[in-house]
Amino acid sequence: MHNICFHFHISQPFRLRTYRFFDINQHHEYFDEYQNSYLANRLAERCYLPANAMLQELMAKYGDKIKVSFSIAGSSIHLFQQYCPEVIDSFKQLIATKNVEITGNTYTHSLASLYNKTCFMEQVKLQEKLLKEVFKVRPSSFCNTEIIYSDEIGEWLHEAGYDVVLTEGARHILGWKSPCYLYCNPFQTDLKLMLRSYRLCDDITLRFEEKDWDGMGLTAEKYINNLNKIPDDAPFINLYFDYETIGEYHTADTGIFEFFKALFSQLAENDNYKFITPKEVTAMKVPCSTMHAPWPISYSGDEKDTAEWLGNDLQQEAFNQLFKLESLYKKSKNKVAKENWLQLQAADHFNFMSTKWFAHDSVRRNFDVYPSPYQAFINFMNVLNDVKLQLEIKENKTKQEL
Amino acid sequence: MKVLMFGWEFPPHIAGGLGTACYGLTKGLAVNGVDVAFVMPKASGDEDQSLIKIINASDVEVDPRFSAFYQQGGDTTYIQVNSRLIPYVGLDDYYNVINQLDSGILSSDTYGGKRKYEFSGRYGSNLMQEVDRYAEVAAEIARNEQFDIIHAHDWLTYKAGIAAKKVSGKPLVVHIHATEYDRSGEHNINSVVYGLERYGMSEADMVCAVSDLTRQIVIDKYHIPADKVVTLHNAVIPTDKVVERHKNVKEKIVTFLGRVTFQKGPDYFVETARKVLEKDPDVRFVLAGDGDMMPHIIERVAELGIADRFHFTGFLRGDDIDKMFGMSDVYVMPSISEPFGISPLEAMRANVPVVISKQSGVAEVLQYAIKVDFWDIDATADAIYGLLHYPALSKLFISKGKEEVDNLKWENVARKLKGIYTKVINR
Repeated sequence: MHNICFHFHISQPFRLRTYRFFDINQHHEYFDEYQNSYLANRLAERCYLPANAMLQELMAKYGDKIKVSFSIAGSSIHLFQQYCPEVIDSFKQLIATKNVEITGNTYTHSLASLYNKTCFMEQVKLQEKLLKEVFKVRPSSFCNTEIIYSDEIGEWLHEAGYDVVLTEGARHILGWKSPCYLYCNPFQTDLKLMLRSYRLCDDITLRFEEKDWDGMGLTAEKYINNLNKIPDDAPFINLYFDYETIGEYHTADTGIFEFFKALFSQLAENDNYKFITPKEVTAMKVPCSTMHAPWPISYSGDEKDTAEWLGNDLQQEAFNQLFKLESLYKKSKNKVAKENWLQLQAADHFNFMSTKWFAHDSVRRNFDVYPSPYQAFINFMNVLNDVKLQLEIKENKTKQEL
Repeated sequence: MKVLMFGWEFPPHIAGGLGTACYGLTKGLAVNGVDVAFVMPKASGDEDQSLIKIINASDVEVDPRFSAFYQQGGDTTYIQVNSRLIPYVGLDDYYNVINQLDSGILSSDTYGGKRKYEFSGRYGSNLMQEVDRYAEVAAEIARNEQFDIIHAHDWLTYKAGIAAKKVSGKPLVVHIHATEYDRSGEHNINSVVYGLERYGMSEADMVCAVSDLTRQIVIDKYHIPADKVVTLHNAVIPTDKVVERHKNVKEKIVTFLGRVTFQKGPDYFVETARKVLEKDPDVRFVLAGDGDMMPHIIERVAELGIADRFHFTGFLRGDDIDKMFGMSDVYVMPSISEPFGISPLEAMRANVPVVISKQSGVAEVLQYAIKVDFWDIDATADAIYGLLHYPALSKLFISKGKEEVDNLKWENVARKLKGIYTKVINR
């Protein structure tokens, strides 16, 4: 029997408006209200609301035979609160079924874990606080931004009280080993690692609409047929997706909703599969091996590294200039500027500066608004310069703006 | 395979990018095993003939009886125009043309004995006459030379190309380096030049355009069927020359280099300078070039009160251009309409980061350049400011830009062209 763990990420950031250098120190509206509102509502309408309704319906029918977990970045929660609060209500209803786990995450889809412990912990704690406020939950498993993980990040999370971390089943780390077993951090063996079976995920995320599944599209039957090929003694199948896969990457007319509905129903009815959420793993008596990740891994590309966000000099410069302001952040009393500094840490801003895919677009660049990585960089640096000036202001002069 | 190619200029004596492009292309063809006989109105004898044969049209003896036959049978109307319209014009040239306007027109001699024509090969006021005589010579050359295909560069040579086609029956390829829409803008089209361009494109078996942008103009404005028009991007001739960085001033330098004409958008450069200087006075802007918009530009700079930070060098050539690049921190090309635009490539090769307008063909082949709309002075100013203030960006451009330019090779362009020739010949 396989334990099957479905996990969905939501990580929409606050997108920046065009902010010119002559706006620096003139005004501090960095975010594109129209675009943020448009995208939040579009995604709510196409994906979050109908997908939540689908899960609600499935859980009404199958009870605790169907379970899923979510990680929702704090910035996305704020976006929903601001532009489409019905999404928050919808998630509250899902959580009330008790078949949904909300995992820990970063507050702003931040890359802080790649910088240092203190910046990362700030993100983790702020997110815990927000989850408690909004959903009244306290997470015990963790899903980092873009499932970035390393031994060190694992140790930090263990210290912060987490038992389980979701990350990539990166081939260059695993070698011959399978992601379908339980692993743990080599230095903190209490910290369990659940590794993503990325090929099975890509079958849906990247290849759902391809017609080379026996000449037809992918169906739940064909997908389960592939799951059945996993050796019986492998205890876990971990499938993590961007929630936007349902309804946005693949729109409703492709049959993605019907696919998931059929997949969940058939798995729930099949005695060979049992739905679990990450926190249940700690209580399980299964063998566990160590996995050593000296360098950060993620779910990006074939390389499973962090080059998508820190691959070129622009990204590294922006990253260093941003996190260098940590001490200013700690000292500053300007709440707005502090929040903005956190928002700038979102991985998406760095993704827009990537030169990795000059030739072809990737799924992740779906919402890119910049004409080139250079303009993304310049815009980011303009905003960052203003945020820096705002953090430097000793008195809280912007009180009236609060 | 042998090509009879008609051009107007060839290095070292050139007025614009056309001659350089012809040089690169013919060299590339030679590497690909294509023989080229390059006809030009006036050869000086110091052209590089190591790989191609140059035919000097001024040396060719013409039999007017034959050319009269061609002119009647060739179904052409003899157009004699005293035009102010000249593809490349400096300030001096411009006034020369104005002064010569009243000097009268020489008519073409259709009767009489054999003779040679003395071409100036420049872009002077008797241009239209030279264009026609060039066609007469072309017909003569086409009778005597052996070749498989004809290739004509820009409208000045189209009549020559067509004449050669009519005489020999060989297919004709015309090459668009610039259209009348680029030179004069939408509302100042010279209908005679437009007519010649369209005539050449219609008579041609295949039309090559230097960019997708130009290709689209050919399709939309000249109504040439899309399947007859192919894009053939320009490339650069490799050089080992290293431009040395040397600055006399501590301020950052932002450079515009090109003809100061409507097409190149120098006025947008001035407005951009004002935007940047408002925020950062430690920048100097240099406008290197000459042209009919010069008085307007100088007045505008004075009016904005930025003359202490905005400098004019006049027309630069040779080493002075390299020296200018050696001082520059950013190169800006705000062209309103640029069929290709080779100068940003020269800047990049001299390790100068570039900001170029999206309305340029060169934008189609570059990744390591910031591309903006020519009219968007906010975006242009922001790009310049970013390059000056965020060093990671200029460092990235400097490290990758040269490599990117060096990979634009004429051999590859010529290989594509050879494929086009083969297709046309075998049709």
